[in-house]
Amino acid sequence: MTSPHLVFQSLVLGVLLGGLYALLAAGLTLYFGVMRVVMIAHSAFLILAAYLAWWFHDRTGIDPLLSLAVTVPLFFVAGVLMQRLLIRRLSPVTLTMMSVLLTFAIALVIEGLLGYVFSGTQRRVQLGYSGSSFEVLGARVAVVKLIAFGLAVVALLGLYLLLKRSRLGQALRATIQHRDAAALVGIDTDRVAGYGFGLGLATAAVGGTALALDSTIYPSLHWHWIGPLMAIIVVGGLGSVPGAAIAAMALGILQSLLQLEMGTTWAQTVFYVALFATLMVRPQGFFGGRLAQRF
Amino acid sequence: MQSSRSRLRLAAGVGICALLMSACSAVDTASSDEADAGGEGTSDPITIGVSLPLTGDFSEPGKGVQRGYEAWVKIVNDSGGLLGRQVELKVLDDQSNADRVVADYESLIAQDKVDLVFGPFSTRLVVPSARVAKEYGMLFVEPAGAAAEVFEQGFDNLFYAAPAVANDHYNYLAEHILAMPEGERPKTVAYAAMDDPFAQGTAYGLKDKLEAGGIKTVADEVYPPNTTDFSSIAAKIADANADMLVGGSQYQDAVNLIVALQQLDYQPKMAAFSTAPTNPEFSKAIGDKTEGILSPTGYTTAADYPSNVEFVEKYTEQFGNPPSEDEANAYTTGQVVAAAVKAVGCAEQGDCQQKLIDWLRGNTVDTVVGPLSWDEAGRPQAAHLIQQYVDRKIQIVLPEDQKEADFLYPKPAW
Repeated sequence: MTSPHLVFQSLVLGVLLGGLYALLAAGLTLYFGVMRVVMIAHSAFLILAAYLAWWFHDRTGIDPLLSLAVTVPLFFVAGVLMQRLLIRRLSPVTLTMMSVLLTFAIALVIEGLLGYVFSGTQRRVQLGYSGSSFEVLGARVAVVKLIAFGLAVVALLGLYLLLKRSRLGQALRATIQHRDAAALVGIDTDRVAGYGFGLGLATAAVGGTALALDSTIYPSLHWHWIGPLMAIIVVGGLGSVPGAAIAAMALGILQSLLQLEMGTTWAQTVFYVALFATLMVRPQGFFGGRLAQRF
Repeated sequence: MQSSRSRLRLAAGVGICALLMSACSAVDTASSDEADAGGEGTSDPITIGVSLPLTGDFSEPGKGVQRGYEAWVKIVNDSGGLLGRQVELKVLDDQSNADRVVADYESLIAQDKVDLVFGPFSTRLVVPSARVAKEYGMLFVEPAGAAAEVFEQGFDNLFYAAPAVANDHYNYLAEHILAMPEGERPKTVAYAAMDDPFAQGTAYGLKDKLEAGGIKTVADEVYPPNTTDFSSIAAKIADANADMLVGGSQYQDAVNLIVALQQLDYQPKMAAFSTAPTNPEFSKAIGDKTEGILSPTGYTTAADYPSNVEFVEKYTEQFGNPPSEDEANAYTTGQVVAAAVKAVGCAEQGDCQQKLIDWLRGNTVDTVVGPLSWDEAGRPQAAHLIQQYVDRKIQIVLPEDQKEADFLYPKPAW
């Protein structure tokens, strides 16, 4: 019944989707790694960035990708401030649990403000190349999806190099591995945590813009995203950026292929099936290592 | 910019409310004087209770329905009221929540003792609120709730104030396709419908008719309402390469699906979507690729029914832009109830309600969407017009006698 052509097309779509998932999930795993914060508002920031990209395009007519020049630094600063002013005030003992409440509230505030400012009307960035595509080995590859994928690759590669090569990256990884030990060797873990949070939100700016290129956005859209993204970072191992990327890619491809046989409704459950399976078989996730074992 | 405009709109809305209220109370005293002089009947205003989703998921259409009701109240009061009494609207916000809507109608009927009730927006809220109205024996005319399930709950007090139920939305299109010469008409159809009683009802109503006419179904996809990525569904539809595509859609799903299909370079000869194409935001989202897209609609400002001409003119005067379908259906609700009240000569809780119900059961009412009559379950007995994007404008193409443009077939590439 299912033609090889359709399977290949779905595989291509799955890879593109997986790339987007990886980008959207990267920040989420970073917050948890650095600070043990469950950031429910991550997807709300994604939608906020998507709205800013749409608004920028709507007002100026310039390609929404250029809005990144403003939103990335803006979100980085917002992340640092959010960590300094709000997250840090939570008691360390109940940090993880209380961060759920706090960030849930932030998500609601963002959703409400978006609705107030931009109204509930569903928006879409309309570009000359929205519907354009080209053919690769018989499969159609949409230009906007490829751009989103490219953004994901660049952002994740940048994040990876930053974590591996820079002093800040070393400090961040040390903080992820063992906060107290990192403090003992002279790392200002509070400051590092702030930067970590800023970096996470900066990825949300990139992810939200990528999202805006090829989807219709509305203020409450973030609720549809947070579940799958949470599942991805648990499967990938909390705190592991490469783990999240690999899990995102695997689940994206799986979802796309399952849709052929099972339909959209059941294919969506792949995230939660993977979540349950991970918790039963390997609760620390597949790439999380020591960090997640403590939880 | 955007925010200041919406603030302005808010301020304007508040201003209109204030004006309406002062106008009501001013006329109120005048009419009571008159009634005292005449010494007959009651002079109290007729209060109408309604709960609407002014916030939450349905806030956009909910506000549209509110504007429609307000326009009706203003037009009725300006022409002397109902039974010589002024009409007053009492609106509560149910936050798009089915529990709230039940509590709202309970309190409107039992505590506020409203004389009449109007329905809320959306099937999900119409069903629970109609149940409350039924318990109190109240007439329940509603502006939204076209899905089949609304009429299968055994409500004997419910009337849907629009031309047709969801399954009949595409009737004119089905007739048109089946009347085409065998060689020209689409031979295969792909369906994609949201898992929602209304959206699915529209697509499957057409599917039943086309299948009965011998037109083959080659794809039938159902997706949950929270679906945002349509690339895989689009891949399956493109692979089936049907002559015609039918979307049982709301809004974002249709837009996302259309763009995903363009990306896969699938070009159907005919494409129809419910609801989405009539949304003003649609052509902004799709750009110049809308040509030939079809959509059923229950209302057009261009219809020359006498009350519609008055409605469009006065509505535009009141709100600054012409009404759309939600506003029109709300206004129709008012017209239907008013017709019954005038004919029966009463508007209060108690026996009067049953008389109103019985009257509507047996009569036809002239409204802004044309003459309406109902079957015993409250299903209206008319059909939806079919609109199509022709020359970048959405225009009526079916039925023949009401068309603004010729039916465009095959559809140009998107």
